[in-house]
Amino acid sequence: MSRLVDHPIIEFRRGKEITFEFEGREISAFEGETIAAALHAEGIKFLRASPGRQRAQGFFCAIGKCSSCLMEVDGVPNVRTCITLVKDGMIVRRQKGKGEFGA
Amino acid sequence: MHSPDLLVIGAGPAGLSAAVEAASAGLDTVVVDEGVTAGGQLVKQTHKFFGNEGFFASVRGFEIARSLLEELVDFENVEIFQESSVIGVYEDGIPVLHLPSDTTRLFRPKRVVVATGASEKFLQFENNDLPGVYGAGAVQTLMNQFGIMPGKNVLMIGSGNIGLIVSYQLVQAGVNVKAIVEIADRIGGYEVHADKVKRLGIPVLLKHTVTRALGVESVEGAEICEVDEKFSPIPSTARELVVDTVCIAVGLNPSVELIAQAGGQIRYVAELGGYVPVRDEDMRATAEGFFVAGDVSGIEEATTAMIEGRIAGLSVVRDLKGSTDENKVSRLKKELVGFRNGPISARVREGLQKLGFDVSSGESRTGNLNNPQKYRGKLRPIIECFEAIPCNPCETSCPTGAIVVGGNINDVPVIDYDKCNGCGICMTKCPGLAIFMLQELPDEDSALIGIPYEFIPLPSKGDQVHLLGRQGEMLAEGTVQRVFRSPHKTNSVYVKTPLELADKVRSIRPVLQEDNAFVCRCEELTVSDIEAAIDEGYTDFEELRRKLRISMGPCGGRTCRLNALRILSRKTGKSIEELSFGVLRPPSIPSTLGSIARQKGAEDD
Amino acid sequence: MTEKASVVVIGGGIVGTAIAYYLTIKGQRDVVVLEKNYLSSGSTGRCAGGIRQQWSEPSNVRLAMRSVRHFESFKKELGADIEYVQGGYLLLAFDEEEETLFRNNVEMQKKEGLEVSILSVDEVKKRFPYIVVDDVKSASFCPTDGHANPHLANFAYARAAKKNGAWIYTHTRALGIDVENGQITGVETDRGYIKTGVVVNAAGGFSRQVGLLAGVDIPTESYRHQIMVTEPLEHILDPMIISFSRNFYMRQTVSGNIMMGQGDEDEKPSFNHDPSWRFLTQMSKKMPGLFPFLEKVRVLRHWAGLYNMSPDAQPIIDKAEDVSDYYCAVGFSGHGFMLAPAVGEGLADWIIDGSPKEVDLSNLGLDRFTGEVKREKNVV
Repeated sequence: MSRLVDHPIIEFRRGKEITFEFEGREISAFEGETIAAALHAEGIKFLRASPGRQRAQGFFCAIGKCSSCLMEVDGVPNVRTCITLVKDGMIVRRQKGKGEFGA
Repeated sequence: MHSPDLLVIGAGPAGLSAAVEAASAGLDTVVVDEGVTAGGQLVKQTHKFFGNEGFFASVRGFEIARSLLEELVDFENVEIFQESSVIGVYEDGIPVLHLPSDTTRLFRPKRVVVATGASEKFLQFENNDLPGVYGAGAVQTLMNQFGIMPGKNVLMIGSGNIGLIVSYQLVQAGVNVKAIVEIADRIGGYEVHADKVKRLGIPVLLKHTVTRALGVESVEGAEICEVDEKFSPIPSTARELVVDTVCIAVGLNPSVELIAQAGGQIRYVAELGGYVPVRDEDMRATAEGFFVAGDVSGIEEATTAMIEGRIAGLSVVRDLKGSTDENKVSRLKKELVGFRNGPISARVREGLQKLGFDVSSGESRTGNLNNPQKYRGKLRPIIECFEAIPCNPCETSCPTGAIVVGGNINDVPVIDYDKCNGCGICMTKCPGLAIFMLQELPDEDSALIGIPYEFIPLPSKGDQVHLLGRQGEMLAEGTVQRVFRSPHKTNSVYVKTPLELADKVRSIRPVLQEDNAFVCRCEELTVSDIEAAIDEGYTDFEELRRKLRISMGPCGGRTCRLNALRILSRKTGKSIEELSFGVLRPPSIPSTLGSIARQKGAEDD
Repeated sequence: MTEKASVVVIGGGIVGTAIAYYLTIKGQRDVVVLEKNYLSSGSTGRCAGGIRQQWSEPSNVRLAMRSVRHFESFKKELGADIEYVQGGYLLLAFDEEEETLFRNNVEMQKKEGLEVSILSVDEVKKRFPYIVVDDVKSASFCPTDGHANPHLANFAYARAAKKNGAWIYTHTRALGIDVENGQITGVETDRGYIKTGVVVNAAGGFSRQVGLLAGVDIPTESYRHQIMVTEPLEHILDPMIISFSRNFYMRQTVSGNIMMGQGDEDEKPSFNHDPSWRFLTQMSKKMPGLFPFLEKVRVLRHWAGLYNMSPDAQPIIDKAEDVSDYYCAVGFSGHGFMLAPAVGEGLADWIIDGSPKEVDLSNLGLDRFTGEVKREKNVV
């Protein structure tokens, strides 16, 4: 949707097209993209509801430092989606609160 | 157990340069880097760099990263680990987390070069945690690394070089930059960078700040405000802009966590960006066996980072082999002095003086020293580079030797129009896009203007375009006369203008173009939460930290520590230098127990 | 800074501030606390915050039970929420020796009036399904044990004491204690001199050094002890879980972080505060075996603090023989936080009224180390 095809300076070489699931929705992405970037390309910026004040938050730093992009990926919470590459068939969920482990 | 001669932490310009020097002297070198690809911030930079040709001047950032890496991969004694983060510096080794495999590896290197760069400063305003409020680095990552538009309409906060460059890059990606707001009364970055965005028609609002992001699940607008002399917003001046992205570019903090963990002395030097390691001219930190280079040792440029990296690498060689190429070391040190000689580096010089360095400054030539009027009718360059900045590609690229910068790289260029043959190469080489071509035409009432152009679509001969002035103001319509494609992607577009507009037209636009404040994100603490705790009497940073858990979250204090200290400083009247910086506890990257249990190449305990 | 004080407490950790608090509520005026760094900068701020009554020595059980009563009324009495949770302490037994020890302990603890029981493996499995019980033989469980946030408790005591008139001087170091003819006359600090006749040594990891300032020889030594904490998770653990043979303890804080630590027999006495990779490695290899969910949980931070050890791993709460009115509350051997309220109360009574009154400190004297030492066994 918002992926750049032509750019005056850069040539983007994208990987294989894959699909993953976000909140039950099928989303296509390219290998080599981070989860947060792939979601952003689909217009999805709201990645988690903060544990304390239940605020909508998205990524901020995009280099894995600021903790605001933590999501549940394949059942594992607190995944830094801005530095984790998207994989075919991944199940990604908006994280609400602190991580929950199926003990 | 892996015990290389040298461990380089960070594969940005400084780290790669250090590794090249060490590797070429035969040292077993390991480079670990967090990124998917090496190059650090360089990989996201699409603009051409300043500096001199020895250090990739006029080459685009991502291309510099590629060449440095190519130089390095040829060595058999170098191993590079990507997506690898140092967990901490311990008495018993330096463990590194490999994120994709969720495993760790322990290194016990003989020497370490810390080239961890910097992290972005965070700014406090209401709803600053709303999705769509991004750091400038994040915007660059999305846009220049993944090719994804960060938004449609962006408000840029900060007019330093990063704010100006990213604004320009946003327009290149087809994003509308609504405005750049700057709290100070003048633009922070280089004049040439500012000129580039101004002639695209982006307003730079001085003495303005952002006071609020608007929206529910993501940014739908932003409120901006004028500020008074004390930088406080004047409420009556508040107005809303419809934007879907707020980009924060208010500066960088050196990432000193690891050097601090190593026991290296850290000092607060505001002029260098915050806390910086104490080090000597050979880039040796006070922790034994540790060296630093690049932004971690003070916020500067990629060029100085590369020079510092080489000095650090050569110093490690001297340490381990007893000797090094001393001529090269002194030449590099001279380059550094020369680079920092100009007025642009005044703050950096002040910072370095606080660290005990004897930093010389020289007089630099500034202003408009060229007189093209005398050469009416000749196709010739108009050089609009009036500020002393360290840069000389115009000189080195000129085939006839007409342009001279000279021994002081900060001097503005002087051109001898008699020698100039009107080739226009300088226009496509100038990193600041500050050179234009001019020729008064024989009809006596029009002129040909050459403009460096880095947008798509590239107009073709005969196309109608809007002719814009230095502030992006619409002056007239004109026709494209010639277009030259450059392999370096700075293309030249020549347009015909009425003669009286010849010294005004500096940009074109194709016709028919479509027209609550958080300090700590982890613990969700606002400015008022912190102020309230200080009012309660928690006036030591460590107490504040324990009371509020500020800097105890997954970010390890990167986003909040200095901001919390600033609030503390403001409330207590103590300077940041006087306040305790607090402890930087490992791990520097949260690592699973599983990854730590799965150690490669480590001795079993 | 004040020029004179009735009592100078050296050490602004939980013990020092608790003593100051009890002194002031019992009416003592001109109490000073000296802290060389900031409040909770020493062992208090680095401890795990466990509050346990299951000990092998009866006097320790009594002292801990008395402390728990104070923790239970802390919020009401001091008006501060210290994240106190009574989720119990689960002591896991992995061999017959431990089973016997726990059975004997529980019998003794019950006699002291503690609500405590032995849980079978099945009961452990049912109540705490996240534990892999394969090697567990049985467990001892006390539901009124628990944990709290040490910083908040430390701050609360300091603020209450200050409100009651005590002076709390942070970033102020005691440099010397003047003694004339066996009487204390004053304390030299790096910010001035304080005349006083009474000094309390509550210096935690530095108790021996503060003893020597007055020429009092205290047989304590400090050892590095490390703790790690994970990213915050939704609530999963009620009790603090501990094992002596497997050498660990673990709890979940109110903010959701899982905190765990272990002892290290190879540590030599030192003031080393640097965390080691070896600790992190050992814990990461050990803990997911018993708690598989930990495998994918990230470590957020770890740090080290000092265990101020006495020869029998029990605190030394006493008045010095040769220097009058020199008190010490030291050598807590890793358990100072949980015992601080009762010790604070008892020592305040001792200073003001000449005896610890209802608080039994009789087994904790300096003179006990002359004969055979009976060591507390329930120690990680």
